[in-house]
Amino acid sequence: MTYERIVEIVKKTTAQLGITEYELYYDASSNMGCETFQQEIDSFTSGASCTMQMRVVKDGKMGVATTELVSEEEIEALIARAVENATVTENDDKPLLYAGGAEYRQVPECPENNATSAELKAFALDGARILYGTDERMSDGTACAAEVWNSEEHILNSNGLNLSRKGSGCVTYLMAALDNSTEKQMDYKIFRTAFDEIDREAEAKEIAKAAAAKFGAGSVKTGTYDIVIDRQSMMQILSTFLPSFYADNVQKGLSALNKSALGTDIASPKVTITDDPFLPGNNLQTAFDGEGVPTYTKNIIENGQLKLFLHNLTTALKDGVESTGNGQRSGAKITTGVFNLLIQPGTVSKDELLAMADGGIYVTEMKGFHAGADLTTGDFSIESAGFMIEGGKVGRAVKSFTVAGNFFTLLKDIVELDNNLDTKGHAYRRIMCPDVLVRGMAVAGE
Amino acid sequence: MLDKRLLEDVLARTMSTGADFAEIFVDYTRNNSINMIGGRVDSITDSTVSGVGIRAFLGLRSVSASTTDLTREGLMLCADNVAGAISESKAEVKIHLTSRIFPNINPVKIVPDTEFKSVKIDLLKRAYFTAKEYDPAIVQVSATLMDVDHQIQIANSEGLFTQDRQIRTRMPVSAIAERDGQRANGSNSPGRRMGLELFDIFQPEDIGREAAREAMVKLTAAYAPAGKMSVAIENGFGGVIFHEACGHSLEATSVAKGTSQMCGKLGQQIANPKVTAIDDGTIANAWGSIDIDDEGTPSQRNVLIENGILKSYMIDRFNGRRMGMASTGNARRQSYAYEPTSRMTNTMICNGPDKNEDIIASMEYGLYAVKMGGGSVHPMTGAFNFAVEEGYMVRDGKICEAVKGASLIGTGSEILHEIDMVGQNLATGQGMCGSASGSIPTDVGQPLIRVRSITVGGRA
Repeated sequence: MTYERIVEIVKKTTAQLGITEYELYYDASSNMGCETFQQEIDSFTSGASCTMQMRVVKDGKMGVATTELVSEEEIEALIARAVENATVTENDDKPLLYAGGAEYRQVPECPENNATSAELKAFALDGARILYGTDERMSDGTACAAEVWNSEEHILNSNGLNLSRKGSGCVTYLMAALDNSTEKQMDYKIFRTAFDEIDREAEAKEIAKAAAAKFGAGSVKTGTYDIVIDRQSMMQILSTFLPSFYADNVQKGLSALNKSALGTDIASPKVTITDDPFLPGNNLQTAFDGEGVPTYTKNIIENGQLKLFLHNLTTALKDGVESTGNGQRSGAKITTGVFNLLIQPGTVSKDELLAMADGGIYVTEMKGFHAGADLTTGDFSIESAGFMIEGGKVGRAVKSFTVAGNFFTLLKDIVELDNNLDTKGHAYRRIMCPDVLVRGMAVAGE
Repeated sequence: MLDKRLLEDVLARTMSTGADFAEIFVDYTRNNSINMIGGRVDSITDSTVSGVGIRAFLGLRSVSASTTDLTREGLMLCADNVAGAISESKAEVKIHLTSRIFPNINPVKIVPDTEFKSVKIDLLKRAYFTAKEYDPAIVQVSATLMDVDHQIQIANSEGLFTQDRQIRTRMPVSAIAERDGQRANGSNSPGRRMGLELFDIFQPEDIGREAAREAMVKLTAAYAPAGKMSVAIENGFGGVIFHEACGHSLEATSVAKGTSQMCGKLGQQIANPKVTAIDDGTIANAWGSIDIDDEGTPSQRNVLIENGILKSYMIDRFNGRRMGMASTGNARRQSYAYEPTSRMTNTMICNGPDKNEDIIASMEYGLYAVKMGGGSVHPMTGAFNFAVEEGYMVRDGKICEAVKGASLIGTGSEILHEIDMVGQNLATGQGMCGSASGSIPTDVGQPLIRVRSITVGGRA
């Protein structure tokens, strides 16, 4: 069924039900990907999906329903379900549908990704060949995967809003699994840039080197250490505690921050955290958020001071402020999200940063954030691995220890950040960080 | 659900370039959830997942495609995508599907999707207000009632044509306590593969009360110490230690490709002789139970470890090819949009020889972990972690003060030998397990166990 036909059915059905305020969100996307095993294509996948969501206002309440089954009967049933959901909703949120007519910043068009299955397979096979060529110890588990996707979104509401956009992208990863006959170690990198922008020869060498460096990792003595958290681990930390800055969580008492923190210093003066929907070089520049509100670049923390919480229309109305254009679609009501979140880099080089932390630990892997981190307090205790910093340089590999602390204490204890912010490679959920040095963190090991 | 003749045609088209096996997975799922916060219904999730996943194998190659377009043209296009990617030869294939009905071992009394929302809201209010009124320090409660009605149809080129309906209900409640600038949270999320009769087993008031109780205990707890020590891990969700430290490494997903620490260890002593562990998808109405797996193989009770000796892996059809072993009924996928692979169902350490009171009494200094949070593992190295939500220090065989903020870490192959006492109060806990084929419901379980020495990631 075409989008135009869906719109016709929505208009007809809402009119029949006497619904005058409604919004249709429609997303059609497709993807294609493959992965190698032992330098052959092991699996190839593709998908095409269509999702539609209706938000309707009934007796002053908003109801939402979503479906992937696109047929005339289902669209009618979907609208009826959204109406029913409105009737049992009890919150005092004013139902808000953004009006059309706002000015939006022009962003570069996102060209459709037309890679063929043959090109995709050739790219992955080539990536695997390059990986195996870098080190004789490459073993099963060494792989290259490549995926491309395209999407088309529409938001149309009874308030005059009628927006659409196309998106596309590609993701690839290179994974090296080295076997030195006594142990296996691996490392990987994920890239979200165009395939031809990746220097795979150089990247494969770096990944293999990173995996090999983990051989023979030893233990760490329990104690307090200065920690250099590498960019990848810092991205995970920031991603985990990001919802603390969502106004919705602050208003409901679910964040460790409360409203009185606004305008106060909650981080080291070296820390500035920015959400930039227009990050140059990023092919996902975004002019409007999930509610159709224009987006803009903003500092959440500026030189240590908390400047704002992230808002959608509903939370902004509650706080008597303008939406920050961070509304995000979800299965239920509009939630909050970021576009490109980055911790602004510092001025020292990575070598200088490490030299400042002699005797400390360079943490390059952290995992288990979904369990070992508590959003309501900021506390965390996370399984980690990395390297001792010996003579101000990366020393022996270490593993099987935890780093424990509190996110908000950590923000204050950041003493320096390095000057290398990689906005292209290795992006984790569109969050980008430099390496950061934090003084005096609790480490549990031997 | 789709017509048999249509499925036969789509399978024939999928096989038309020489695949040696093809399969269609049809998925129609209703997801409902009602969230209450601040004493009022705050949001309602009402979503329908609907689509088809088509797979083909040729030797050790697998190709899959999915679509939400259920028209004949849409399905044929999807079949062509699979056929075109797996091979370029030509084959004339005729498919004849034969209906098979497998026993329903998970009966449902009250189908949640058809119940009035007001009934569900009343259940939520009972949990919510019990938690909120537990103590003046409880400042916020979030209670959610979620139910899933997952209807699947599976047809394959061997002639299998079957279907299943998997209904699940769960009530996660979390409570936040705050006093004198200190904050803490507690949670409780029981669920079963059944309908609203879940609340005949679990009273909503008890669910709410438990979340609030945990928050209050943690409110006055000090941070756990850091370092290696003995840890006694309670039953129920404590079983997450086995799920992470060993379970994932026994999935064919990593075993078949030689990327698991457990490769080639069948018949070897991999755990303390007191450890016997099973994966059993046939327990009536348990959270991770399935009548059939997502390839249409009936669920089984698989003994993974018996008296410390590795007896079996968990295997799906495709990885079974590489391993030369049959499926164990463990192929699972979140939805049509994911390729199925081997996953756990209800995985647990069985009751052992030790009395629970002897386990605590045996500990000179250590941690008694009563409630565990989630965790994760790297199957290649076996390095795992999981969080202690509620814990107490043990000194001279006595349970002492509460501690918070600890995670436990180790390596699977080492920790299985370190489990040196196994108690007798086996119970399970419910989780959502995230891995290659998406997020699926799994039970973890065990009786009280003692780990002789493990790293406690506290900070005191």
